[in-house]
Amino acid sequence: MSNSTTVKTEAQPETRRPDVIAIRKTCDAEGTGLSHYVLMDKQVKR
Amino acid sequence: MSLPVHAQREGGSDRGPSSPFHPVDINHPTHIALVEPDTAFWGLVARDRLDETLAGGPLLETWRAKAADFAREMDMLRFHLKPSAVYFNATERCNLNCSYCYIPSDMRRGGTQMDRDRLLAALETLHGYFRGHMPADRLPQVIFHGAEPMLARDAIFAGIEAFKDRFRFGVQTNATLLDEEAIAFLTGHGVGIGLSLDGPTARIADRTRQRWNGDGVFDHVVRAIERLDGYPGFNVICTMTEENLPHLTQLVDFFHEKRVPACMLNVTRCTQPGARGLKGDDKAVSDAFLAALERTHTLYRETGRKLVVANFANILIAILAPTARRLMCDISPCGGGRSFFALAPDGALFPCSEFIGLDTFVGGNLFTDRIDDVLESAPFRKVIDRKVEDIEGCDVCPIRHFCGSPCPAEAHEMNGGMHRKGAFCAFYEEQVRYAMRLIADGRHQDFLWDGWDEGTEVACAIGA
Repeated sequence: MSNSTTVKTEAQPETRRPDVIAIRKTCDAEGTGLSHYVLMDKQVKR
Repeated sequence: MSLPVHAQREGGSDRGPSSPFHPVDINHPTHIALVEPDTAFWGLVARDRLDETLAGGPLLETWRAKAADFAREMDMLRFHLKPSAVYFNATERCNLNCSYCYIPSDMRRGGTQMDRDRLLAALETLHGYFRGHMPADRLPQVIFHGAEPMLARDAIFAGIEAFKDRFRFGVQTNATLLDEEAIAFLTGHGVGIGLSLDGPTARIADRTRQRWNGDGVFDHVVRAIERLDGYPGFNVICTMTEENLPHLTQLVDFFHEKRVPACMLNVTRCTQPGARGLKGDDKAVSDAFLAALERTHTLYRETGRKLVVANFANILIAILAPTARRLMCDISPCGGGRSFFALAPDGALFPCSEFIGLDTFVGGNLFTDRIDDVLESAPFRKVIDRKVEDIEGCDVCPIRHFCGSPCPAEAHEMNGGMHRKGAFCAFYEEQVRYAMRLIADGRHQDFLWDGWDEGTEVACAIGA
């Protein structure tokens, strides 16, 4: 295991990326969490 | 955001006089970001195509066609949500004395605690409130929080049993009281379980998380993690401090080896003075945090199994799909008092758990006041009305809706008022730059949990 905190060189894409990239998705807002509790999945399967 | 994120256009000024976009240098070798701050719409553009992109083309056309929709979406997210969750503190007491805790030590030593009947009555009142405005097919959420909620285990478990079909439940615990019987009950009821662990070894973890007599609890947490192996609804929170920053990548290795599905690597919230000496400076926190994120990616590539760092995933989602964010700390106004609120054992209602211990932020009492009135109380309005447009520096920052200038409790207590920044401005800048670099490289999905965008629709996909 490594305990280095040096930021490693980030992997670079092998092919040229598009000249323009823009992504936007939309949905009804349901955010309910604060940083004291991980809130990711909308429902834990029983 | 401070000015360094603004990039000079190569051979030109910041931006054209009519362009809505602010250039942001994300320290990427080929791409630069263009951000329209108010709508949180952005594009990543090859540096040698910047001038023509600003002059016209699909990015500008998309913004012109959809800016009004994006603005409405941000307005809904920021100003028109109603609460759908409560952070339920059934006890003020804790069997630990962690060095950065935001709850004052006298409360944790001998504070009040709800009994079973009181807790059931609180859930009944909360259920009535949420049902008044939430759709029938969406359950409100109750997260038992602390202090240490498992000190009120019998009352809490009675509440979960009685209301299992009326709420989604979660519990954030230090794990010291999570025996096999408790884990069987919680997992059997589909309860989300959050644990806390600050290091990959007892020597590191026990520096900040200790019992009142100074004993560490590392072994308890590891035992609970092993018992929860395979349960999808569990996760671990690490608070980053000067004590563990040099060991974050090792901690990521440890979590991954233990098959932890998700974690948070949180900054130390500096609401209480005790936390401020431990917080670490922005650069040290950023360097350690980004190295840990890169390590999760390496582990994913090597094993095919993700360890999602949820607080960073939330920043990524805030960029990709602002309304799909789960955590509401990194948006302005924050979620405190408007998408969730916090309940203390005596019935006192606060905008957020972070304010428990600050009496001037009590907005009312669950047992004597109407929740709708509490939400409009002066202490709640103080938090709900805090917005980046009113904070010097944030008001001109292009990434203000990816960061939200957290946290109001911290800003108020540490920096002198609600209209001040929080403690980690530069750290949030670095997170946003890194997130955009991942998108520029096409690696961002590797840092998100599978299915994060279920239920979303594509509003824009250029070069994606």
